Amino acid sequence: MSSRKAISRLAGIGSLSTAVLLAATGCGAGGPAAAPGNATSAVTVLVEAGGHAELAGVAEKCKAETGLETTFVELPYDGLFNRLSSEFSSGSVSFDVAALDSVWLPNFKDAVQPIDELFTAEAKKDIFPALVKEAQVDGHFIGMPAWTNSEIILYRKDLFEDAKNKADFKAKYGYDLAAPTTWKQYKEISEFFTKDGMYGTDVKGAVETEWMAHVLQAGSPMVLDANNNVIIDNAAHKEALDFYTSLVKSAPTGAAQVDWAAAQNLFNQGKTAMTRFWAHAYRQIPKDAPVFGKVGTAAMIGGSAGVAGIPGPWYLSVPKATKNAENAKKFIKCAYDHNDLGIESTLGLAARMSAFEKYQDKPGYESFKPLIQTLSADATATRPSTAKWQQIVDTVLVPTLQKAVAGGDTAALLAEAKKKVQDLIK
Amino acid sequence: MSAQSTTKPDAGQPATDYRPRHSGFVSAASHLGTAGQPAPELTRKRRSRNREGLEAGRRSTRTLLWIILAAALVVYGFPFVYLVLTSFKTPIDTIAVPPTILPREWTLENYTSALGRSGVLASMINSVQTAVISTLLSLVLAVPAAYGITRYKTPSGQVFIMAALVTRMVPPVAIGIPLASMMASAGLADTPIALAIAHTTISLPLSIWLMASFFEAVPRDLEEAATVDGCSRLGALWRVVIPVVSGGIAVTAIFAFLASWNEFLFALLMTAVRSQTTPVVIANFQTQFGLDWGSMTALAAVFSIPVILLTLLLQRKIVAGMTLGAVKG
Repeated sequence: MSSRKAISRLAGIGSLSTAVLLAATGCGAGGPAAAPGNATSAVTVLVEAGGHAELAGVAEKCKAETGLETTFVELPYDGLFNRLSSEFSSGSVSFDVAALDSVWLPNFKDAVQPIDELFTAEAKKDIFPALVKEAQVDGHFIGMPAWTNSEIILYRKDLFEDAKNKADFKAKYGYDLAAPTTWKQYKEISEFFTKDGMYGTDVKGAVETEWMAHVLQAGSPMVLDANNNVIIDNAAHKEALDFYTSLVKSAPTGAAQVDWAAAQNLFNQGKTAMTRFWAHAYRQIPKDAPVFGKVGTAAMIGGSAGVAGIPGPWYLSVPKATKNAENAKKFIKCAYDHNDLGIESTLGLAARMSAFEKYQDKPGYESFKPLIQTLSADATATRPSTAKWQQIVDTVLVPTLQKAVAGGDTAALLAEAKKKVQDLIK
Repeated sequence: MSAQSTTKPDAGQPATDYRPRHSGFVSAASHLGTAGQPAPELTRKRRSRNREGLEAGRRSTRTLLWIILAAALVVYGFPFVYLVLTSFKTPIDTIAVPPTILPREWTLENYTSALGRSGVLASMINSVQTAVISTLLSLVLAVPAAYGITRYKTPSGQVFIMAALVTRMVPPVAIGIPLASMMASAGLADTPIALAIAHTTISLPLSIWLMASFFEAVPRDLEEAATVDGCSRLGALWRVVIPVVSGGIAVTAIFAFLASWNEFLFALLMTAVRSQTTPVVIANFQTQFGLDWGSMTALAAVFSIPVILLTLLLQRKIVAGMTLGAVKG
């Protein structure tokens, strides 16, 4: 076949394809377009990919009860913030409800509308106190917690119950080997299990949450006080950082680079005897993992100020720009009413205390009691309400922590961190 | 071996003792016969030695090239091979510490899980639609633009082609948000055509430059001959020039297709329910609560198949096109 004929044929096929494709693009392959504001009984929910599973059951229930048809727009976590920023700044949104990470609430507080009517007295009683506080910005509730998380202690029950380990531990430390209830115990148990290619715990240098939890346990707010003064160099921050770095010798090497995923992998592979991790991880241990069925749970440990953790909630909010606010609020009410349906999802979390309590005694949900205990603790607090928080984390807290776990002078590092945070928030 | 020994071939010194010298300090006169002319036997041996030297040089160059090629193959090929192998691993194998290359137990579970996920098939169709439309748009605009610029060589054409390149220097994120707003205002929100137009903004400058270099390589005489034979200017372009640069068009089409096929940022900002493309769906396997490596790698492996097939199908044209561009000027 000559080139000319080939080109002619290609052109013919191309034209035909174009015509077909252009005709097809009217609707796309994903189904009808999301039409916020136009539908009488439909709602579009923008959600992070992991959160979709949490709300799918709610959507079905909501449809059965109220006839409300829910369409989910699912985006990856890293892209969701960009998409939200883009649409909020344009003043035109393609969704009626957005699931927002708690750290984004201060960023988007002016783009979402109050939903005070959904925060009834009963609701405020059934939602963890730290979350009720965080959902309220400038005197209005702007997000309904859909699910929340908190770090708890996961430990290798099989190793803790081993007769030889128990005897050896008691001989060495003078008390029984059991899930730790003080940080001194945690440190000693970590040291005990660090042998024969195994480690007692992990030290996550690439995430700041645990260091901040230690700060709360020591009785200080995180990084900023109530008046937005930078307090990162106070005694509580230093004490917390010193303790955190003291665990490095009982943890796998390269602590500066260990993040959530790495720590979870290490534990699931049986390389660490204990980990401080988000409660959802307990139900996500792969069935073919060497530690499956051998893991115990305990509440986060307390310091001088008692038990404290940092919640990781997501909130459902209604953008000011949607014309479908009524249906949006109807969906949020459904999500609150049937909050326990999230527990049946692969992620297995909820936001209401009653939802967790309903499952806490069922087999397979052993992480819930420690989770409730940690989230209900008086010293538990959410992250500071500042739009700069993520920037502070990425540019100051994590680099400081990484230098500290690599052996840096903590006092000097905190003094340097203070200046950097002051520059960021001024 | 001393310099002198090479000058005494008759003293029973075997020719194989010769070792090539790189310092070049042996004077030309030392190779000459008594009459100042090279003796025939000496010349033969010298030629033979030169040939051996050249052969040895070529051999070492070839060996070096093979080593570099193998290293490049490992660097570029290994991630893809690892991705494919990971897609056959069990969940615990995908997160093994330290990582393993081969699956300890082979499974197709990841493929079942990834392809069975709601919206995956639709996203594949959307990706094809968007990439095909974007490629056609790029070609339809780039071919005449490049032809006009190379054949008429006006100052405005030169400014235009430079300006086209400048658009490549703007970070996509800077135009992504306004572009998304514009598409929404035009009623094209969440459609493959909107995304295809956005992707064309990425691929068009490169397409114009590529096509311009291919048109430059076509002698004007060809067109003039066609004109003498009765072709119009457009007829000469269609009947003579386009077939000659068909390889270049294939190359340009591949680049435009790939730019759209793999694009993530615009797809993230501009698509929702009906036009979401597969790169966004692949990214959805990474959530705040963990990363489903198995499903992610399985879908990524499937997603790369059409591109591999397309490249193989157009391989000849691509090679021809690259050669065409290489000999220009």
